[in-house]
Amino acid sequence: MAKCEKCTFFFPIPEEDMDFEPDKGDCVRQQEDTKGKFWLSRPVFRSTEACEHLSVQTS
Amino acid sequence: MPTVATPSTERTARLKNRCRFKHVAGGEYVHAGVKAGVERARLITESHKKNIGNPNCIIRARGLANILDNITIHIQDDELIVGANTEHPDYFPMYPELSYFATVDMVESHYCDHQEEMREISEYWRPYTIQTKAEKYFTPEELGIMYSATIVQPPMFVTAFSSIVPTYEAVLEDGLIKRIEDVEQKIADANASLRESPWNAQDKLGLLDKIDQWEAMVIAMKAVVGWAQRHARLAKIMAENFLADPKRKEELLEISDICRNVPAYPARGLKDAMQSKWFTYLLCHSVERYSSGYGQKEDKMLWPYYKKSVLDQTDQVMTYADAVELFECERLKVSEHGSTKGRQLREFFAGSNDLFILTLGGTNADGTDGSNECTNAILEAAANIVTTEPSIGFRWNENGNVETKKKVFECIKKGFGFPSIKNDEMNTQQLVKYFNVPLDVARDWALVLCMSPGITGRRGTQKTRSEGGSDVYPAKVMEIALTNGFDEFFSNVQLGPETGDGANFKSFDEVWNAVKAQIRSAIELSLRSKDVGRIMELTHLCCPFISAIDDGCVEKGMDANALAEVANPWHNIIGGSVVVIDSMTAIKKLVFEDKKYTMAELMDALRNNWEGKEEMRLDFWNAPKFGNDDPYADELATKYYDLIADEWKRNTTYSGTYPLPLAQSVAGYIVNGPKTAATANGRHAGEALDDGGSSPYMGCDKNGPTAVLKSVSKIDASKHKGVLLNQRLSTVLMNSDAGFDLWHAYMKTWHSLGIDHVQFNVISQEDMKAAQIEPEKYTDTLVRIAGYSAKFIDLARYSQDTIIARTEQDMAG
Ligand code: SF4
Repeated sequence: MAKCEKCTFFFPIPEEDMDFEPDKGDCVRQQEDTKGKFWLSRPVFRSTEACEHLSVQTS
Repeated sequence: MPTVATPSTERTARLKNRCRFKHVAGGEYVHAGVKAGVERARLITESHKKNIGNPNCIIRARGLANILDNITIHIQDDELIVGANTEHPDYFPMYPELSYFATVDMVESHYCDHQEEMREISEYWRPYTIQTKAEKYFTPEELGIMYSATIVQPPMFVTAFSSIVPTYEAVLEDGLIKRIEDVEQKIADANASLRESPWNAQDKLGLLDKIDQWEAMVIAMKAVVGWAQRHARLAKIMAENFLADPKRKEELLEISDICRNVPAYPARGLKDAMQSKWFTYLLCHSVERYSSGYGQKEDKMLWPYYKKSVLDQTDQVMTYADAVELFECERLKVSEHGSTKGRQLREFFAGSNDLFILTLGGTNADGTDGSNECTNAILEAAANIVTTEPSIGFRWNENGNVETKKKVFECIKKGFGFPSIKNDEMNTQQLVKYFNVPLDVARDWALVLCMSPGITGRRGTQKTRSEGGSDVYPAKVMEIALTNGFDEFFSNVQLGPETGDGANFKSFDEVWNAVKAQIRSAIELSLRSKDVGRIMELTHLCCPFISAIDDGCVEKGMDANALAEVANPWHNIIGGSVVVIDSMTAIKKLVFEDKKYTMAELMDALRNNWEGKEEMRLDFWNAPKFGNDDPYADELATKYYDLIADEWKRNTTYSGTYPLPLAQSVAGYIVNGPKTAATANGRHAGEALDDGGSSPYMGCDKNGPTAVLKSVSKIDASKHKGVLLNQRLSTVLMNSDAGFDLWHAYMKTWHSLGIDHVQFNVISQEDMKAAQIEPEKYTDTLVRIAGYSAKFIDLARYSQDTIIARTEQDMAG
């Protein structure tokens, strides 16, 4: 199974931040509805199983 | 003509256009898409399960930390102020730890998409809620009376309703990192003290609870800094990975920098201050627990940062116009903020999403004029953007500058219903006289919710609404005073002591004494429920973050619910006071003086809703009425308001002093009308009550605005925390060239008469009727209900009609 670490929406948390944990990252995704665009961030780990929005860098 | 918003920039026009309003109408959210968010409830439950057995403050701190570390955060396009209380911009949060009833009400509604999970969560919490903890101290009969919402508001441990004035200044001035260091030092000192020789248990054992409280504060503050850092990272990730527009990228990088700096460190300028204030607002009002309100003296609090950024141009440099845009953004942010409340409170705030009231004007601590350029920018933003929230309370001081008063007038003229106006000198003196507040501290007061002044600053502010804010419903109280304490009309419940059947009363004193006995009983029940709730809060609902930002709580190692450093108890007498006054006046005159009718005839007419007794009803309707400078009615009014004050004064609350009453209404006059039988002022059963604490009954003030002011001025307002007065003014006059001068002269009369409060509706009969026919053309038309404003088109027809029925006063008359 693919993991979040492969996803372009996974951003590791800097070590100096209060909520830092090894392998922890922010999953940041853009959403849009009739009221406009917004961006969501929730914590995941490198080892979290990827969701249906997994986006893998191809280059 | 419909009211037209004029946002000052394209950004705020876009934000207004796409604003995710969360207003309620008829107890339901108006906009499709509004949902109950589940993440807060899920995360606090997960943490609670892991931490049972720890001191409550630690459980609560870890619960908060689990929410802040893990809840989905978001930033919307165009935003300059970021942060929200839920995982999605359309959602409002749930609080399963507060009230079982309120949670279930929401879980079983169509707003909840996670019903199975939330049912499990609410059942898990049932034994731990403050509702369950508190109910055992009341008999089933007492609970039945309170839950019927007939003579008193349901208790706070069921409504979960609270309000707070956060100690914003401590966050803006210190930053949390310094406060964390200070508290850690206190823990270290306490630990050292425990080990001192010789051992003295009396001195030392109290430190154990303090150490727990301080540790909880540290956990909470660190989590808050981490949560702000999450926003900083999100803004930066958006700028670097998702957006192409260089201007927006730059803004997001600046937002990222701001969220790295605040609330961790002191605010550098106005942008930092606004963001730090918003984070603090969210935490105190919505994340750690739910509390209504927007209590703050905003112009005074922001003035140092405004000065740095706009006037001195030393940090986060901006123009006056930039500041106005930022205040417009703030108003839209508040408009999007969702609160969850049970149905009774959703109905009480018809047309609004919650109560948000900030305070401006008055004086500075040294007595100089408190209105400044920042005050003007806040008022200008309100006039531009046209939102019901946040409402504004303006402290009218004789020495306040005219330029700011003109800005106040501009908002009122546009029909917003705010600023509502409080007598500054009177309310400052009351804090000094009744609550022993030093004059310089008293001068910094703000409205804690709609109407009641309380101190602001770094310590001693109101932390929970169990300090005050219970509701007694006087019209219903008078009804049962005439029916032996039994509610024949609505609930079929014995609501109060057996004071006899009005049909048998032989003197006016018997009527008066029955009303007095019923009021006493209702007051004591509501006060007891508040204070029992307070004990439940400080035992089971510690608030470590709210405590951590109060200098007093930090100094003493105490939870904010427990520490009543500055007592400020007040309690509401909600909608119906004037119905009682007019009814008593009519009974006194027609039954006991003129002897035109007997009490038996009157009771028969009231029990039958005046059916077949129209002539008699008109006699009672045409009896002397309060609001016409008629000594007959006004004398009884004065006696009634004194009685109310004396009855509350008999009691001592948690904070160790006696409470003052506050006569007002919110939408209680609309909601409680249908529960109230026909009344002796000639009102039919089910019709609305009077719309404020001292507003004449609809259509009964016939002698012009000065007569209203003279009647109201006879009430000794110094014995009350507030006495609300709604007035409807002529749109033609307010918009004429002489509009400001006429209104200013009216306000000077109001002030010289020593009246506590006034607020205005300025909307024509024609516009309201046109809005009922073509609501889509009147989306920005606001009206004052009582204590807050609402979009006219969001109100039910019944509520709209009560505004139309208010007498329009001609100030030139
Ligand atoms: S949760 Fe889904 S979108 Fe988020 S980082 Fe993992 S795979 Fe990507």
